[in-house]
Amino acid sequence: MFPTSLARFLLGETQHRHLEQLTVRDAGFGHDELGLNADMVRASAAVLAPMYRHYFRVSGHGTENLPRHGAAILAANHSGTLPFDGALIYLNVLAHTTPPRVVRPIGDLFIPRLPFISTLFSRLGVAAGSRGNVRHLLESGELLLIFPEGTPGIGKPYSERYRLRPFRGGHAELAIRHRVPVIPVGVVGAEEAMAQLTRIDALHPFGAPYLPVPATPFPLPTRVRVHYGEALTLHEGLPPEAADDPSVVSEAAARVQTAVQGLLDEGLRTRAGVFT
Amino acid sequence: MNGVLVTGATTPLGIELICELIADEAVDSVLAVGAERADRTPRLPPTDKLRYLARDLTRARDIRDLLFSEARELGVRTIVHAAHHRATDEGKKVHRLNVESTRLLLELAERHPTIERFVFRSHADVYQVDHDQPTFIEETHPLRIAARMPQWVRDRVEADVTVCMRMGMSELSIAVLRCSEVFAPNVGSQLHDYLQSRVCFRPLGFDPMLQLMAPKDAVTALHLAVTGDAEGVFNIPGKDVLPLSRAIEEAGRRAVAVPGPLLTPLYGARRFALGTQFRYGLNAWRFHFGGILDGRRAEEVLGYEPSHWVSWEG
Repeated sequence: MFPTSLARFLLGETQHRHLEQLTVRDAGFGHDELGLNADMVRASAAVLAPMYRHYFRVSGHGTENLPRHGAAILAANHSGTLPFDGALIYLNVLAHTTPPRVVRPIGDLFIPRLPFISTLFSRLGVAAGSRGNVRHLLESGELLLIFPEGTPGIGKPYSERYRLRPFRGGHAELAIRHRVPVIPVGVVGAEEAMAQLTRIDALHPFGAPYLPVPATPFPLPTRVRVHYGEALTLHEGLPPEAADDPSVVSEAAARVQTAVQGLLDEGLRTRAGVFT
Repeated sequence: MNGVLVTGATTPLGIELICELIADEAVDSVLAVGAERADRTPRLPPTDKLRYLARDLTRARDIRDLLFSEARELGVRTIVHAAHHRATDEGKKVHRLNVESTRLLLELAERHPTIERFVFRSHADVYQVDHDQPTFIEETHPLRIAARMPQWVRDRVEADVTVCMRMGMSELSIAVLRCSEVFAPNVGSQLHDYLQSRVCFRPLGFDPMLQLMAPKDAVTALHLAVTGDAEGVFNIPGKDVLPLSRAIEEAGRRAVAVPGPLLTPLYGARRFALGTQFRYGLNAWRFHFGGILDGRRAEEVLGYEPSHWVSWEG
């Protein structure tokens, strides 16, 4: 589908060979039940490689905390007006897991309504965030990427960058119910890449909650660092039914938020500059 | 005495199911009921174990007579109700077959001296497929209950709910099998009809995942439900899970993506000109959003697992 020589050129020999090891659960025709397709993942990784490697110069820190197998949840901060951070984490996980793991980003429920994007996202493993889909993915041993802040995370003004919006409890509830670890993720650099000038709340294109107006027509070439923290076992000492208790869930979500904020603070403290 | 009454006996599925039941030593007799006259059902095997009756299930008297004469004489223990209108026509007669016959069969079976079990063949079409619903469909998934739905959908939902409502209230043991679309000719498959054209139009920008089922798997599931005693609702998934574009490719057709709003008039014109069955309005949801049945319950309780690929020929 995608020319091998071009993929090799874009990815580099090492990454190209690395991605050749990629496999997905095949429901019979090269796709999993939700539409994920390994060829599309490889092709997209190749197309996005220049942006990932040379434009944003993405680096992964604490990648030893990424689980090599089994169900888990990556809980990350959300930033940058348009959700480039999701793509960068996705590519970072692909690059730092052996064999490469496709992280399954959980997107908003309006995504399936978007022509072309819905199909592309489905081939890359993005799933709309309904409970049924998420439960299925966890029970299938997949690695999920959830932004517990939700859309408010990318919708906040530039002046409030790296100040997390309150975490919703869905990820914590899932972690407790399905006995899976949560890996906190802090993305530093995406916040400055595309600041939001304003947002038009009256417009809801394809069901989106608002229409963002970015300050720049394209993202700025900030250096993006993805920090992975140690796994949190929110379910430890709790029965699965504890996931029904709102106070337990909000306490667990607060633990995750504290861990993500810690990674952000540490990342901001140690970086030399926004573009370097 | 273990007799089985099968409605919809002259459909391709009904015939295959009857052949399996005849071969099953645990089944003593099969009472097959169809709309066609006996001399027009050559594919039913000639055996003493099988008795075929032509009955019009849209007539209450026919159903009553069937159950309290022939079915009682044969000691029928299980009803497999698989008769439904396969074409997309609408009207009262269609509704009587799809819904009222189900309601009456169930009601009469509850006070029947020998009938103990009711197996209802339902459809995955009863589930709501939409952008905000899970792609992976469990038995608790919302149903497509809305007045704006075409009768084809409404009838299927109403019949399904009619049977489900009796669970736990009836002395009958009831199983509802919500099957994936059986992909074969003459079984009422919308997708099969859709793929008969050399050029298949699909909505621009959308390529959802579909699930299709080989007739053999549907028959296996019904057979398991007949011989078992599992009660409740079961999703019966097919083995083929693939994108719409791939289904078109597998069928050897050419896909042409056009803006979604054009598809209803395009396929309306095709239906008008060629008398085909595919109606885009019935399929618009699943041509945009994926819907895959979760068959875990059927696997755990019924022992059903899909094992046959569909045939793309013909």
